Amino acid sequence: MGILGLSKLIADIAPHAVKEMEIKNYFGRKIAIDASMSLYQFLIAVRSEGAQLTSVDGETTSHLMGTFYRTIRLVENGIKPVYVFDGKPPELKSHQLNKRAERREEAEKELQKATEAGDQSQIEKFNRRLVKVTKQHSEEARQLLKLMGIPVVEAPCEAEAQCAALVKAGKVYGTATEDMDALTFGADVLLRHMTFSEARKMPVQEFHLSSVLKGLELEYKEFIDLCILLGCDYCGSIRGIGPKRAIELIRQHRSLDEVLRNIDTTKYPPPENWDYEEARKLFLEPEVRNPSEIEIKWTDPDEEGLVKFLCGDKQFNEERVRNGAKKLMKARTGTTQGRLDGFFKVLSTTPNPKRKAEEEKKSAANKKAKVGGRGRRPK
Amino acid sequence: MFEARLLRSSILKKVLEAIKDLLTQATFDCDDNGIQLQAMDNSHVSLVSLTLRADGFDKYRCDRNISMGMNLGSMSKILKCAGDKDTVTMKAQDNADTVTFVFESPNQEKVSDYEMKLMNLDLEHLGIPETEYSCTIRLPSAEFARICRDLSQFGESMVISCTKEGVKFSATGDIGSANVKLAQTASIDKEEEAVVIEMDEPVTLTFACQYLNYFTKATSLSPQVQLSMSADVPLVVEYRIQDIGQIRYYLAPKIEEEDS
Repeated sequence: MGILGLSKLIADIAPHAVKEMEIKNYFGRKIAIDASMSLYQFLIAVRSEGAQLTSVDGETTSHLMGTFYRTIRLVENGIKPVYVFDGKPPELKSHQLNKRAERREEAEKELQKATEAGDQSQIEKFNRRLVKVTKQHSEEARQLLKLMGIPVVEAPCEAEAQCAALVKAGKVYGTATEDMDALTFGADVLLRHMTFSEARKMPVQEFHLSSVLKGLELEYKEFIDLCILLGCDYCGSIRGIGPKRAIELIRQHRSLDEVLRNIDTTKYPPPENWDYEEARKLFLEPEVRNPSEIEIKWTDPDEEGLVKFLCGDKQFNEERVRNGAKKLMKARTGTTQGRLDGFFKVLSTTPNPKRKAEEEKKSAANKKAKVGGRGRRPK
Repeated sequence: MFEARLLRSSILKKVLEAIKDLLTQATFDCDDNGIQLQAMDNSHVSLVSLTLRADGFDKYRCDRNISMGMNLGSMSKILKCAGDKDTVTMKAQDNADTVTFVFESPNQEKVSDYEMKLMNLDLEHLGIPETEYSCTIRLPSAEFARICRDLSQFGESMVISCTKEGVKFSATGDIGSANVKLAQTASIDKEEEAVVIEMDEPVTLTFACQYLNYFTKATSLSPQVQLSMSADVPLVVEYRIQDIGQIRYYLAPKIEEEDS
């Protein structure tokens, strides 16, 4: 589920760290996609009249439809996608997963109620909440991607962590996911809304970790602590501390340990057996495969294989599948447009002098606030 | 205080026409020497570098260096309000957040002024290394515009290859292929109509037609255009603007797919 309220916090405090780009600007870039995240997206969004698309025997095919057409959209825009699949969830996440299971049960009950009452909008709402990416879904998606000639990477643990490792190693340009934790795992470039449907005309949001850190005035380690305080997948957070208070506290005390020492724990009780140190370790040294051992290779699509796999039982239109395969093939041939960044060096990014003045004023005000605060600032 | 006055607004109008399709916004850097603009398009494929020297202006004053971020769409709208023969003056106070354009008709009977809000832009400045190019080709700018327009009907990309025989532009696509060869002009009667090729080494590069067509929007600024090429570096397309400066476009070539 990512980090609670992080994107909003960044948009408020460090708006310059977020850039909105058109998808066509990413031509030639290799992008790591968090597969389970996007499969989930497809299961929710790719529907016809509110119901998932199914094969003859009622098996869901929404995820295949989404994977097929949206991957083609990326490829047509010149992007080279790599899908990264989750491995086993880390132990720390079990708590979070239990919570999710509870919520599913609740939704199931609600759904029953709604069905009895015949309330269509409610039925739809809870139906969507019950969506889960199963082993079979991801297995089928893997098979499909293979036929499309798109590389797949198996993460030993969390996919976001593996994506981040690929970005850090320079194997890919950025990672496309909606979860903000890719930043916490140290991915320098995070892209949101990449796999959205074309019809929504959503610009791609590009987050740069370095500008996020600069904007928030934090070091990377402090940023991890901030994310834990905001609420992550791996441990609880302190009740009553919202995003605004969290950033203030971290800026003032520079680490979670110091924050705990300085806040009034009776007023803001931390969760019992709060294992934030383990969570921190998980972000810093996640279990990933060594990127240099991973070979990422794009191959020609297997048109006949795709037709065999998608048409027939799964009821895809043969002509459209063949068309899609041709599009994939076309993108493989020909030349790629180069970029100037490769030829010319960026000498300086000059922020507008006026804005700089404003920022200085702001940070001066912040410093004043820090001096007035009760905590000392350890360094 | 910044003030720059041009006797004919048409130069500024044409400059803006030449860049506004590539860039939506840009910073005009003004100092003692004149006005500079350097910006890449959104996808970082091409770069525009514009120089307007101070001595080319009828009157030029710049007490402190200022950078003005402008929305080129809005600026173009304002310049459309000026007559071709009008005098145009750009004015800004130090640290101002607006710029003023004043248009005066030749007989001084009509004076209009337009104020435009400036933008807070931070832009990347790229260092452009001094390069010795293997080939430079000078040809009539209208000819170049025509070739780009014609060939873009055939394919998305155009191959420019320069040998000692001449320069060849070619494109291939679904409907077929197109080739245009230009040889060096034998006798130069009119300098403006000449094709001049200087070549140390033959070069062949592929470029996106779309961008070349954006560049040829500058055709009306100069009768001649100069193309400079070397293997594996960006193409330079340069239009000299008489008595005042030049506009240069850089375009990254298309590269053969490495097998990955």
